[in-house]
Amino acid sequence: MNGDHERWEDATGAYVLGALPDDERAAFEEHLATCAACRAEAEELRVAAQALPLSGPPVLPPPALKARIMAEVEREAELLAGARDTPGPERERPRRRWSWRVPMPAVALACAALLAGVVAGGVLFGGGSDGRRYDMDSTLPQASAELDVTEDGAIIVANKLPMPEAGKVYMVWIQRPGRAPEPTSALFTPRRDGSATASVTGDMEGVATVLVNQEPLGGSTTPTSQPVLVASLAS
Amino acid sequence: MVVMDVRALADEDLIPLMARGDARAFEALYERHSGAAYSLAYRMVGARAVAEDVTQEAFLNLWRSGAHYDRVRGSVRSWILGIVHHRAIDALRRNAVHAKRRSDDETAAERLEAPDKVEDDVARRDEAAIVRNAMDVLPSDQLKVIELAYFGGYTHVEISELLDSPVGTVKGRMRLGLKKMREALSHGAVET
Repeated sequence: MNGDHERWEDATGAYVLGALPDDERAAFEEHLATCAACRAEAEELRVAAQALPLSGPPVLPPPALKARIMAEVEREAELLAGARDTPGPERERPRRRWSWRVPMPAVALACAALLAGVVAGGVLFGGGSDGRRYDMDSTLPQASAELDVTEDGAIIVANKLPMPEAGKVYMVWIQRPGRAPEPTSALFTPRRDGSATASVTGDMEGVATVLVNQEPLGGSTTPTSQPVLVASLAS
Repeated sequence: MVVMDVRALADEDLIPLMARGDARAFEALYERHSGAAYSLAYRMVGARAVAEDVTQEAFLNLWRSGAHYDRVRGSVRSWILGIVHHRAIDALRRNAVHAKRRSDDETAAERLEAPDKVEDDVARRDEAAIVRNAMDVLPSDQLKVIELAYFGGYTHVEISELLDSPVGTVKGRMRLGLKKMREALSHGAVET
C-alpha cells in the first residue's frame, strides 16, 4: 500500500478543509480506511481546520432568525409528540425498487402504479386543513411514512426508520414530471425510536413525486443513492 | 416538582434530550452556538439573507439529526460548525455568488465587514485572538490557499487555476499551513 500512500500523502490538508472534489474525496476516504498514518494526520490537521471558523469577529444573528427556527422546531416537536401518542396500525407495504435513471415512460407507469396503490390504501385528507396526506411507499422493511402537503410545503412523519449508514443522512427530494429530482434543504436522521419528521418549505406546485434517500452529511445536489421512501402526489 | 433548567446542562447532555424531541434543549444549543454559526455562514457567503438561510438549514439539520452526534469526533460546537460549513459550501456552489467572487482578487478574510451587532462575549473574543495569532504565523501563500478553501468553498483544483499554481503545490501548502497552525494552537490552548 506504499505507493498508494505516497499518492495520497498531500491530500490530508485539502481533505480536512473540505477542498477535495467529490470523486477525489470518496477515493481518499477509501484510502483512509486502510492507512493509519493518513488517518492520524487527518485527525491532527482537523484540529486546525476546526479552529478556522472561530477566527472571525463574532457576529450575532438577527432575533427574527431565532423566531423562525424555533417556530419550525416547536411545530415538529408537537407533531412528533402527537405521532408517539397515536401509533398507527402495522401495515405491510408493497416494496418497490426504484431507479433514478429509468426512462420517462417507465417512471410515468411506475408513478401510476404507485398512485393506484396510494388510492387503494386510502388517501387521507388532513382534518379540516387544506393539506393532503399521502402514505409513502417504502423499500425499507418495517419503516412507514406519511406525507402532508400544504400550500407552502410538505411534512414527512416517519416511523421505524433505520439509522442511515455512517456519515449519511436522509434527504428529501421533490420531482416534477419530466424533470430530474430537485434537492431540498430537508436533511434528517431518525430519533432513537426510529421516528422522524422532516419538512420541506417552498412551492409544491406541480410536484408529482416526493422522494427520500441517503446522502452524505451536508446533502447533495444530485441523488447519489436509490430512494427509500416515495410518495406520488395526486393532482 | 422541580423543573430542571436545561440551560445549566453541558452541550453533550443537551444532545440526547434534543434527540428525544425536547425543543428547550435545542433552544439552549441555539443560544450557545448560533453566534459562531452565523458568523461563519456570513463570512463564507458574504450576504445576510443567504447567511440566515444557511444558519437556519444547519440548525434544523441539527434538530433533526441530533441522534447522529458522536462525541468521539469532537465537540458539539465543531459538529454544528461542520454542518454550517457544508451548507455554506452548498449555497456557494448553488448561487451565482461564487461566480461573481471569482473575479475579485481579495481573500475571503478581506471581504468581511462587520454587518450586525458584534458579540460582546469576552471569552469568545479571546479565543478568536488565539486562533488569529495561530494563523498569523503562516506564510501568506499558505494562509491564502487555506482561506480560499475553507471560507471560499473552492476545491484545490479551482484554487490552482485561480492562483495559477500546480495542484500539488496547492495541496502541499494546505497541509503544511495546517500543520504549522496546529502547532501554534497547541501553545495557545484553544479547545475546538
